[in-house]
Amino acid sequence: MSIKDSSFVRDRIVSGISSTHRVLIDWRSWDRALVARVVGVIIVTAVAVGLRVLGLNQLGYNTDEAVYAGQAAAIASAPVLRDIFPIFRAHPLLFQLVLALVFTFGVSDLAGRLVAVAISLATVYLVFRVGKLLYGVKAGLLAGLFLALMPYHVIVSRQVLLDGPLVFCTTLTLFFLACYATTQRPAWMYLTGVGMGLTFLAKETGIILVGAIYAFLALSPEIRVRAKHLIISTVLMVLMILPFPVSLWLAGGSNTGQQYLVWQLFRRANHTWDFYLSTVPAAIGFLVIIAATFGLWFLRHDKSWRERLLLCWIIVPAVFFQIWPTKGFQYLLPIAPSIAILAGRAIARWWPDDIFILNRRIARSWIKTWTVAVIALSIFISSMQIIRPATTGTFIAGTGGVPGGREAGAWIKENIPAGSTLMTVGPSMANILQFYGHRKAYGLSVSPNPLRRNPSYLPILNPDLQIRNGDIQYIVWDSYSAERSSFFSERLLKLTARFHGRVVHTQTIPVTLDDGTQVDKPVIIIYSVHP
Amino acid sequence: MKFFKRFAFLFMLLSLVLSLVGMTGVAAAQSETEPNTPIEHFIVVMQQNHTFDNYFGTYPGANGIPNGVCVPNSLSDEKNRLCVAPFEIADRPISDLSHSDTTFQAQYQNGNMNGFVDALKKLNQDGTLSMGHFTDKDIPFYWNLADQYVLFDNYFSSAHTGSITNRMFWVSGKPGSEFNRIPETGFGDIPTIFDHLQERGISWKFYVKDYDPNLNYRTVKELDFLPPQVQWVPLLSFDRFIDDPELSSHIVDLDQYYTDLENNTLPAVSYVLLLGATEHPISDLSLGERATRTMLHTLMQSDAWESSALLITYDDWGGWYDHVPPPQVDERGYGFRVPALLVSPYARMGHIDHTLLDHTSILKFIEENWGIPPLAERDAKANNITSAFDFSMTPRPPILVPATREVSEPRIEPRRIVIYMAYGAAMLFACMILVWAYTIKDDLLLPPYDAQPAEEIKP
Repeated sequence: MSIKDSSFVRDRIVSGISSTHRVLIDWRSWDRALVARVVGVIIVTAVAVGLRVLGLNQLGYNTDEAVYAGQAAAIASAPVLRDIFPIFRAHPLLFQLVLALVFTFGVSDLAGRLVAVAISLATVYLVFRVGKLLYGVKAGLLAGLFLALMPYHVIVSRQVLLDGPLVFCTTLTLFFLACYATTQRPAWMYLTGVGMGLTFLAKETGIILVGAIYAFLALSPEIRVRAKHLIISTVLMVLMILPFPVSLWLAGGSNTGQQYLVWQLFRRANHTWDFYLSTVPAAIGFLVIIAATFGLWFLRHDKSWRERLLLCWIIVPAVFFQIWPTKGFQYLLPIAPSIAILAGRAIARWWPDDIFILNRRIARSWIKTWTVAVIALSIFISSMQIIRPATTGTFIAGTGGVPGGREAGAWIKENIPAGSTLMTVGPSMANILQFYGHRKAYGLSVSPNPLRRNPSYLPILNPDLQIRNGDIQYIVWDSYSAERSSFFSERLLKLTARFHGRVVHTQTIPVTLDDGTQVDKPVIIIYSVHP
Repeated sequence: MKFFKRFAFLFMLLSLVLSLVGMTGVAAAQSETEPNTPIEHFIVVMQQNHTFDNYFGTYPGANGIPNGVCVPNSLSDEKNRLCVAPFEIADRPISDLSHSDTTFQAQYQNGNMNGFVDALKKLNQDGTLSMGHFTDKDIPFYWNLADQYVLFDNYFSSAHTGSITNRMFWVSGKPGSEFNRIPETGFGDIPTIFDHLQERGISWKFYVKDYDPNLNYRTVKELDFLPPQVQWVPLLSFDRFIDDPELSSHIVDLDQYYTDLENNTLPAVSYVLLLGATEHPISDLSLGERATRTMLHTLMQSDAWESSALLITYDDWGGWYDHVPPPQVDERGYGFRVPALLVSPYARMGHIDHTLLDHTSILKFIEENWGIPPLAERDAKANNITSAFDFSMTPRPPILVPATREVSEPRIEPRRIVIYMAYGAAMLFACMILVWAYTIKDDLLLPPYDAQPAEEIKP
């Protein structure tokens, strides 16, 4: 045990020394610690900001971003967009409301993303605070560094998605709960309830972390909980959640909420069972996961409620979303802070022997430094790769912007008469074109069966008739939707041929072929059609 | 050497003179074909058989059906004092009412405008029907056009007879023949606006929906009936427009209109007959509306929109009631008012134009726009439609016109203030709890990390 490293013991020793000497010792010890801490915070912050801002707006919104930004624009009463995007959809409106305040000064995709980035930076800070609270400053800084570099968090926090704010709120709740476990003071339990309420308002799926809190408290007899405190905390959580149903009811959208619930409960699985296994570990960083697991195993004799808390925070959402039929790349993001803290803990508290190479002793501090450097570098490289725009013309929903979507939308806004209606292969491209193009767009693949479609999408019941009647004037084909649904892509192209489709615009993106040559690949083609 | 210098000098001088002459010639030729207004493309769609009151009699602000009007059931039976008031046709079946010269006179009643029912009853037709009118429920697109562009409420058919004569006025400013018939030898050498356009090298086309090139006035005898295409395309009763490939190539199917828009080769003057989408009773009016809407929207989607004007009108009154006595400018007309709408980026918005107009006003506009002398007395004296334009304004951007007038079912328009207040209250509440919690400092004081001192553990 190193006395110098223990701030607690240091404080106790210092308290017994005369005041004059104490100032001197304080100054010396705090100076080094403070400098190290400040440098660490600066590095973590710089890296976090850099990775999140670098080329932030080089691609336009993807479909989910377009929907949330469209909702925010509708709340802010932005012209045209307020008539295209409904305010109420599946989720509560906390983040959209924050965006709406920004959009009051003008709708801008960059501004929306900067808000998301700001929230994610706050999350990195919170992770540092939780790590520091549970395992000390070093672990906190390392956890912050890992989250700042983590591709999973980087890519989601660069987008206007609800999952970024959700993770901020879940981490805040985790912090409050950790404080409660540390101090056993009821006020922290009350704040945990408030944090859970905020989590729900950010995204309703966050409510499953109530299960994590329950599991943690049930599995930790050393944490004393009084029923009275739990009840008050629950009441506070409910009060915080109330704005969602109340605003739905008072503002006249309760029916919308019910439709969404029914649809979410009965919709078919959108990915295979191994979707998370195949996407999330790489996005978190294999070395980070290995470090966290390594720490759990090798530091098992050091186990306490802290690891239990973090594991509950990981296992409950992971199990829930694995069972839940609807899967999304970003859904497991709330587990990222806990994994980062566990990885930080493992490295901060791991004590390897000095090793000898060619009769030269390599100090354990160097080994630790190199371990951190290797992990940090591996996830940094992954993040750098992932923030570069895709050059293949395909993408996974939730992993970033859609190349060419914003440009095609801008072309539509400039060149297509107001009042025009577009038909796309699916609703994803329709959302993007509606946001940037300010024209109504409908997805051909939207099912006419109300149980099989997102309630906010209107189906095209008879596309043939609607084109014949002149109600649809443009057809938009895109390679992304075509890749996912060749059936509807072919059907769309048949309609294009039948109704004298004429290409009025082709949106291309530069792609790199296998032989390394760069070509312009058409990804979005807009046809004008007439009976 | 001296000779060479002189030769070179003369050659240069000659080149300069020739190029100047050439440029002047080209400029002169260009100025002949260039319009005098921003309208470079003028498209006229002529439908069939409706009066202004029949289509727009209840349009707000227009000279529509007067209050309390009631047309006698019979003019000859003094005991019969019943009268028929205008009514909404709605789902009532309609028929093709008589609209001959004789019927006009019987309905016109020397300007008393009270013979509409009686004239038809005498022909064993449902005279009451003539008092029926349509509303925005029946022709929503046209009413939407009137809202957005120009509606003419003083536009008369040129002749108080049927389609053939009125359409001859439309293309030539003359009736063409003594009666509403195509002469056995065709219309001979009566000059038409298209002859003048052709002479000046100004592009033109006559688009016919579902055009059959084998049908013309010569085939009537073989068929033993007058096909609508021949009735409604006057050029198919002119030998030169049938036999001269240069001229006949200008009469094309409506598909060519879309191709021309795509290729940016829309002619300066286009006449359109929506044969397969006629509004002639007893046809479905929505067919004509839909065809016109598609034409207009495709025009709006093209580069030609900024320099175009589209006029929609009707050849004759079709036997329907109209309350405005038509001025009688000569022995052939005018006939009763017919609906007319003008759509253009330079058209005044939601404007009702009261200028006295007839089909020859279309010729007047073409003639004045492209500097062509009048064809006949009628078009020389006709008023122009230019009062409907405002060429000083920036061209209006294209906005597609909806096909329905129903206000779409109001989408749930949330009260935004409720959302702001509800979520704002939650945030305020969270802040208050946090502040309250922090005010009891002892309760929240976090100890330094001490549960297990941060000792590094050897694996």
